[in-house]
Amino acid sequence: MQTLKKIYRAIYYRFFRLDDRLLLIVAGSLAGICSGLAAVALRLSLESVIEWLHPFRHYWWAFVLPAAGALLSSLYLEKISKEGAGHGVPEVIYAVSRYGGLIRLRSSYSRLISSFLTISSGGSAGPEAPVVMSGSAIGSNIAKLLVLNDRQRITLVGCGTAGAIASIFNAPIAGLVFSIEVLLGEWKFVNIIPIAIAAVAGAQISQAIIPEQVLFNHQPFNTMAADILPCLCLAVLTAFTSVFFTKSLRKIGGFAKKSRLPLWGRAIIGGCLVGAIGIHMPLVLGEGYHFIQTMISGSFSMGLFLTFVAIFAKIFATAMTLGWGGSGGIFAPCLLIGSLTGVAFHKTLFFLLPSAGIAREGAYALLGMTGLISGVMQAPLTGIFLIVEITGGYETILPLILVSSISATMSHYIEPASFYLKDLIEKGQFMRPGTDARILSDLSLNEIIDTHYTKVSENMVFRDFIEIIKLSHHNFFPVIEDKTGAYQGIIHIRTIRKYVLEPGMYDMVFLNQIMDTEVVTASLEDDLGDVLDMMDLNNMDSIPVVENDRFVGMIQKSRILDLYRRELIMQTHIQ
Amino acid sequence: MNHKLLHIFRNTPFGRETFLQSLYFCKTIQAYPVVYIPKNDKCLLYFSNDAVQVDLDHSYLNSPETAKAHAQALFEEAGIPPVFYEPKNFTASTLPDVSTNFDYLCCPRSVSDRSSKIGLGHIGPKVRRIIKHATFPVLISSPVFKSWTGISVFFGGSENAVKALTLGLKIAMASGLPLNLYTLVEKNGEDYYREVVQKRDMEPLVDKYVTNWHFYGNEAFDTMLYEVPHDSLIVLGAYGHGIIKELLLGSKMEIIQSTVTNNLLIVGPNCTISLQ
Repeated sequence: MQTLKKIYRAIYYRFFRLDDRLLLIVAGSLAGICSGLAAVALRLSLESVIEWLHPFRHYWWAFVLPAAGALLSSLYLEKISKEGAGHGVPEVIYAVSRYGGLIRLRSSYSRLISSFLTISSGGSAGPEAPVVMSGSAIGSNIAKLLVLNDRQRITLVGCGTAGAIASIFNAPIAGLVFSIEVLLGEWKFVNIIPIAIAAVAGAQISQAIIPEQVLFNHQPFNTMAADILPCLCLAVLTAFTSVFFTKSLRKIGGFAKKSRLPLWGRAIIGGCLVGAIGIHMPLVLGEGYHFIQTMISGSFSMGLFLTFVAIFAKIFATAMTLGWGGSGGIFAPCLLIGSLTGVAFHKTLFFLLPSAGIAREGAYALLGMTGLISGVMQAPLTGIFLIVEITGGYETILPLILVSSISATMSHYIEPASFYLKDLIEKGQFMRPGTDARILSDLSLNEIIDTHYTKVSENMVFRDFIEIIKLSHHNFFPVIEDKTGAYQGIIHIRTIRKYVLEPGMYDMVFLNQIMDTEVVTASLEDDLGDVLDMMDLNNMDSIPVVENDRFVGMIQKSRILDLYRRELIMQTHIQ
Repeated sequence: MNHKLLHIFRNTPFGRETFLQSLYFCKTIQAYPVVYIPKNDKCLLYFSNDAVQVDLDHSYLNSPETAKAHAQALFEEAGIPPVFYEPKNFTASTLPDVSTNFDYLCCPRSVSDRSSKIGLGHIGPKVRRIIKHATFPVLISSPVFKSWTGISVFFGGSENAVKALTLGLKIAMASGLPLNLYTLVEKNGEDYYREVVQKRDMEPLVDKYVTNWHFYGNEAFDTMLYEVPHDSLIVLGAYGHGIIKELLLGSKMEIIQSTVTNNLLIVGPNCTISLQ
């Protein structure tokens, strides 16, 4: 056994871990392949069940189908996999920003199953966010298996995400860009290479299993100078729609949380409402890619009024699905709402100015999609590359850039946090690498606390204390109770000068008479940021740490600065 | 000692027994318990290389309106000031992150209220995972409250066993209770185990604090378990071997915990123990 172990270690460390970049590339490819497979499995199973359920959609009772799916999904998440509902992307961002990308293994399959149940039954959601969750969990667990460090684990989380997005959309560049722009938030050479390779691996897996896969057929569009002004207006419209969509999702989800209904009860109500809307307006059901295709190809038959109604119906249905117990992502709803917005805008323009020589309706559907994706996620590059790749619309790249940039800027102006980050920012849990909050959270209090302080008794006479001062290089001396060892106060060298200069008082003064009991103390449970705020507020350079009435040590600003600098260099160092 | 033990409180008679055990442990080794009263049926423990989700059964959420008062009453009875833990961070709205910045964790044998699992002979998979990843020792309490008057360390000479011995010495120093060593002599003779102690510069401490060092033949495992005083705290290492060996031979710790009724203090493979 020992020999086998030695051989394994020799192979592992001498070849596989010879170079960390090589290791990340190999592990990243593996993460890309696995997450690509997961995404393909979800896509194929969704397609087959949606096709199987299609004939039943025309019956009056079909409104219960989304309710049944949402019910099963919520029961599965709550009782079997024991996870929360929702799409999971904030969880991944949270894990990356707070715990070095540690994600549970169960997340690699739980959201796939729950979103499959929700979407296949007609719930208004997309499969993309669940595959992101799954891919990132796969990447994280591969890193765990290989005992990689936090930075390497985060890169593999990015690889899993890129592979999943690349596979589900057959769009490797969008996978790479989404992973870095939305999830990791740092464009570093060390991340880009493995993530790019993982994205290619994911896309290749998808092409190998589903060779004829084209999400949307390419349509040639000619955009002209006359389209620039309408593009600007559309960008503003998509920005407002994005903000409205984000706020609706949160508001309606908030109502559900306030209700006393169990999750399964909420899922039934949400599902029934979505099903009821779906009977009259089938485009709200499922991911809605078929309707997006009709809009791109210019064969969308709804009139102007109904198109506007459809926008609100889809927003409401998505909020009822995701906020009331269903599972899935907002990528596909964003694409549908965006294309509806673009088409509605084009129809309005055509109604007001019938002779305006602007591009066809399909081009505006593309622009609407990119505007909404960029607005909701506040990720302009993801919006541009995703739409270009899934529609093959390279000839519209200039207006896409325009709409995407303006929509992202406008929505950021109105609502500073994107949909994925809003909750995390509100709770103070969003910390990108290299930021003040992240560095402070990564510093351990145990590293910072200096415990080598000499404790002195409250009943000690000043003469004995002088002897202790002579032997110590510290300026602070914690005073403790004799019997219990409980912290009583602190003595600072600066405050006892007057006693030192009067030897006559050496035997008359006890330490409990001169100690400072009003000094603010910190606890081991405090966040370092809070401790620093406390020090700033009280104009302190050092603060005693007291836990359970016991003196633990002192925190000094100079020590924090040393460690802060070390951590900053580590986090921002370009490898 | 200024050490903290995290106790996940269960507001049931069984939970009271476990909490009494935690209180007794803390009083004896001069640590203090920090009680977490769960508001959700699950929580996450983030270790350095793994995130362990602890799925609690519904008995942990019993009568939330009386849970704090019950815990406080038990604190008062033990003469220990009550300290409660509130999670600050949440991975999801219903999934709090419980800090792993503790020195000990008290775990029932299984995180379940099913009577078949509360009895001896079953260690829950979650408990097993916690032990494997924890950087602190895990106290697996006896099914009902049981005070202990000595410390028994199972020392097999491995890396994990050395950690268990260090922890045993630490507890003996803090509590003043007698410490006994139990060794099952396998391939090597008794001298091998003494050499292990010597190499780690632990001999003076062992000489000072260990009352008796008992050696047993390879076949006398059951005899050894029977001879361990029923009222002692057993300290032992767990899962120190490779995964293949454990799959083939099983874990010694699992056999021990299913045989004895004592309180167990388990040192997992990722534990760091120092005498400070």
